[in-house]
Amino acid sequence: MLKFLKQVTDYTKEAVQSAKYIGQGLAVTFDHMGRRPTTVQYPYEKLIPSERFRGRIHFEFDKCISCEVCVRVCPINLPVVDWEFNKATKKKKLNHYSIDFGVCIFCGNCVEYCPTNCLSMTEEYELATYDRHELNYDNVALGRLPVSVKNSDPMVQPLREFAYLPKGRFDPHDLPAGSRRAGQMPEDLLEGETKA
Amino acid sequence: MSVGIDLQSSFIELLQGYGLTPGVAKVVWMPLPMVLIVGAVTVLALVSTWLERKVSAAAQQRIGPEYMGPFGLLVPVADVVKLLFKEDIMPAKTDPWLFSLAPLLVFIPIFLSFLIVPFGQNLLISDLNIGIFLWISLSSIAPIGLLMAGYASNNKYSLLGGLRAAAQSISYELPLALAVLAVVMMSNSLSTIDIVNQQSGYGILSWNIWRQPIGFVIFWIAALAECERMPFDLPEAEEELVAGYQTEYSAVKFMLFYAGSYANLVLSALMVAVLYLGGWGFPISVSAIAGWIGISETTPWLQVITASLGIVMMLFKAYLLLFVAILLRWTVPRVRIDQLLDLGWKFLLPVSLANLLLTAGLKLTFPVAFGG
Repeated sequence: MLKFLKQVTDYTKEAVQSAKYIGQGLAVTFDHMGRRPTTVQYPYEKLIPSERFRGRIHFEFDKCISCEVCVRVCPINLPVVDWEFNKATKKKKLNHYSIDFGVCIFCGNCVEYCPTNCLSMTEEYELATYDRHELNYDNVALGRLPVSVKNSDPMVQPLREFAYLPKGRFDPHDLPAGSRRAGQMPEDLLEGETKA
Repeated sequence: MSVGIDLQSSFIELLQGYGLTPGVAKVVWMPLPMVLIVGAVTVLALVSTWLERKVSAAAQQRIGPEYMGPFGLLVPVADVVKLLFKEDIMPAKTDPWLFSLAPLLVFIPIFLSFLIVPFGQNLLISDLNIGIFLWISLSSIAPIGLLMAGYASNNKYSLLGGLRAAAQSISYELPLALAVLAVVMMSNSLSTIDIVNQQSGYGILSWNIWRQPIGFVIFWIAALAECERMPFDLPEAEEELVAGYQTEYSAVKFMLFYAGSYANLVLSALMVAVLYLGGWGFPISVSAIAGWIGISETTPWLQVITASLGIVMMLFKAYLLLFVAILLRWTVPRVRIDQLLDLGWKFLLPVSLANLLLTAGLKLTFPVAFGG
């Protein structure tokens, strides 16, 4: 009889506990209802990518020495470097250069290792096309100026990312002009070092 | 208890004034409330889909539909238009009869159940003696339709979804019926009108939720399971079963399932309001307020106000419960099928039986408070 009663009490305790947990969960969800949305209304508002953002790769044709380092450091040997040896000048002459962004994983190894810095990362990320072959950028396409979120389209309102907001701000809308992000900037750190 | 507005008799009297016989006048009257209720229920279901989107968005700190009409209110309309114009696909090797019949078999009983949902003393289609029992029996037709849909689709996901839906509906029908039985025992009637009137004495204090707290919780859990709402949405668990029995459905047939599920949710919320939250009753008894101010209860304008307040209260309570259901959706994770059946058979059923016994005991001991 006592054993049965104990079973009943244990069962009741468990039921009460689970009800408590569901109540706590509901309180959390209800609390979220009152918070402001953290989303960005994409086609009309866009976040400014951070300076370390790895977007479309930019290529400067004239700087390239056709060393093919980018091909060797690429995980899948993606860049296509079409060059020929110019016997008169005894130098490699670059004819074509292309990267297929449908295959690229934007790891940035090529940019990292390029000895002449002819490759660089941009903040351009809207690469969608109707045909995947259009993603295969040749040296002309790679050399175009990247599209920036800022000042490119009057319909688009550029918004700062969370890490670039002033201290205590969570919402990028209606920031006071000239407000600075939280923490020290790289130049502050440099100044501090020279003083010390 | 006041009689309130009786639209039916006034309408029939009006027609008789134009020289129609009472029989003909009644025939003219009959389709009016039916059409009204079907239209109103469709709108309520559409509003609940909108509410689902908006509340879900708010719970996840999103905005939700915003650009289609004010606050995205036209999204449900766009949904309906889209589903009406989409191609009605019937996959190869389905059973065409069962496949077409299933959505109707799910949809019609739900809309038929609104027959007994009262929005006021006389504001319902038909005050049946067996009221609440009709709802319970109609809701047990739906699993047949779900099973039919799953079986006829010629798809393993559909079949599994249909089987799960049937198992779930059958196991949660029992605690639901037992919880209702406890309320019925207190009000000595199956009629929804009588159940509400029995709760209308002292405003919010006389609502059944205070006398039947366990029954309220059981009923709400079982109703959520009947509607296949989130903690119990195994039949259409999208991570495992694509969309369950709805997988192969498109266009109008899908719309019937979709509208049916939301209409069922609204119906369940309305039923909770009727059974436990005093139906159309205002938290403070309206007749008491009228008495304090010194206005006769039969004043025409007061009756109009009372009736509209009743409808508003009914919808307010229902949508409050709907809100809780949507909030629950983003709070609790889905249960496994064995946990679902455990909860139904090993927890809710014994607890609802104990609740019934307790109600019977209390009724014998305190006949004043528990409807002797």
